[in-house]
Amino acid sequence: MISASLISRPVRTLVSILAVALEVTLILVIVGLTTGIANDSGKRIVGVGGDIILQAPNSSILLSFSSASLPVQIGDKIVKDIPGVQAVTPVIIQTNSEGGLETVYGIDPVSFQAVGGPLVFIKGGLFKDPTDIVVDDIWAESKNAKVGQQVHMLGQNYRVAGIVEHGRGARVYMALPAMQDAMGAIDKASIFFIKTGADAETVRARLAAKLPEYKITMAKDLMSLMSSDKIPGLDAFIRTVVFIAVCVGVLVIFLSMYTTITERTREIGILRSLGASKVSVIRLILEESFMLCLLGVGVGLIGSRFIASGVHMVFPTLPIEFTSQWYLKAAMFALFSGLIGSFYPALKAAALDPIEALAYE
Amino acid sequence: MNKYEFVIQKSYCGGVPEMKSILETVGLRKTYRIGSVNVEALRGVDIQIRAGELTAIMGPSGSGKSTLMHLLGAMAKPTDGKVLIDGEDIANLNDYGRTEIRRKKIGFVFQKFNLLPALSAKANIEVARFIHRDARSREDDQHLAELLQMLMIEEKMGRKPSELSGGEQQRVAIARAVVNRPAILLADEPTGALDSKNSEIVLNMFRELNRKFKQTIILVTHNPELATYTDRLIEMRDGRVVHDSEPVSVYEKIPTLVV
Repeated sequence: MISASLISRPVRTLVSILAVALEVTLILVIVGLTTGIANDSGKRIVGVGGDIILQAPNSSILLSFSSASLPVQIGDKIVKDIPGVQAVTPVIIQTNSEGGLETVYGIDPVSFQAVGGPLVFIKGGLFKDPTDIVVDDIWAESKNAKVGQQVHMLGQNYRVAGIVEHGRGARVYMALPAMQDAMGAIDKASIFFIKTGADAETVRARLAAKLPEYKITMAKDLMSLMSSDKIPGLDAFIRTVVFIAVCVGVLVIFLSMYTTITERTREIGILRSLGASKVSVIRLILEESFMLCLLGVGVGLIGSRFIASGVHMVFPTLPIEFTSQWYLKAAMFALFSGLIGSFYPALKAAALDPIEALAYE
Repeated sequence: MNKYEFVIQKSYCGGVPEMKSILETVGLRKTYRIGSVNVEALRGVDIQIRAGELTAIMGPSGSGKSTLMHLLGAMAKPTDGKVLIDGEDIANLNDYGRTEIRRKKIGFVFQKFNLLPALSAKANIEVARFIHRDARSREDDQHLAELLQMLMIEEKMGRKPSELSGGEQQRVAIARAVVNRPAILLADEPTGALDSKNSEIVLNMFRELNRKFKQTIILVTHNPELATYTDRLIEMRDGRVVHDSEPVSVYEKIPTLVV
């Protein structure tokens, strides 16, 4: 009966399914983007190779937001004064918003290599000039950039000196002094990556004792710290998006079921005359709504995969990561919104007087 | 003997056999409030319907016959009086109780057929069986097959209501109404939307149902011709019974009623 009802009203069914699918897709894509960006960023930071990350006091775990306020000389002191430290590399970070959004690292190639090994060049080589940059393969592919090509970013033209394998912090690198100069932050760094010997925890404790005001993070803990509930504001953002998506779902299902109740008043009267109880009528409406939502969830899950593929094609540097946990959550939110949205119409249907319902034209 | 058959008191000694009253109203009243005005639709109706009777309730518009049908069918609560079905007073039952009565004991046939448009004829009948919920037995399936054969709609089961003629739709509605073997079949102007040929077919079906399955049937109509198909005629006017003919020949019918 439910499937017959859905088939007999194809437009209503299709619109409802698409609306629920939109709800699921909205949740999955937004969460997928934030999770993907955070995880990708986390993986690339870990990929730099340091065991410990030192930041200025009260810095964000999102390194892109780190200011260039640390004197570069701290790195030398750390190597000299903290036993167990093998290498330290200062990195100055800036976010480029021209033609996309990406993190640019100003690095000292020698110490950067000492901390995590050399950058693996696919084409070209290191920067020789202040206006030279090195980019990773994903960035190069997304911008169709070749070695020797001029690109405009951070307000000026740069030449692509080399293309490296991705996974080492940023997608774009330039010489540390060049970026310090560009940012007006001479002899400053945003963060330090610290390579230790065997006992990183002991080194961390020593660092904390020596530099108690600074933010010290173990690289191995970074991935868990990059989850949405640990990043300030991100959790609230996701909650807001989910709330809006659920509201859309509730309203659409409400409207759909409310309309269907009005259209089917006579049918409900027939069922009641046949001896269907109020509870049966409520169950019928809720089951129909559940079926709509279930179909919507299916379409939404498939749709979100399509959108992820589309985003990946258009913006290769923008990672979307779907997790089974959020697949389940999105499905539950959609089903929940269907239940909430159809509850009042179901009660209204059950409350119909059978005689009046049968007389309804 | 099945539950459709007349219950004939074994002890009767000649004369008209005493038969069980399956439906009875006592001082039945129904008053509607429309705005600030009270409208008395029924003003004290006392009737007795015996099991296996085919009865017509007739009267002009506003006579109260539809209201009476709603009360007999447990679709509404009376303002006063009793409605006894199989001896159980349903007048004061709540919605749940009335729903149970409709589910277990009443079958409805309406003027406008009232089939579910999205479902096939078969599915329309299955809905009634599903709502009835009792486990389906082979006997029930046989009963349905017999019904479909008798109503001549076996070949139409896969069609939707919109693909059936009015007469066929009404026969599907009759099958749906009696598939669960209700104690009482209530039909509200069952030929009101049919042409004369289909009306005759449908009325003969009621007659046949009554004869073959001993189905108690109450037809509510304003069409005097319909009365010729029934055993008994109850006439109503202004919310009262003004004429109640006893079954013309109940005694004569007994040989055809007993299996």
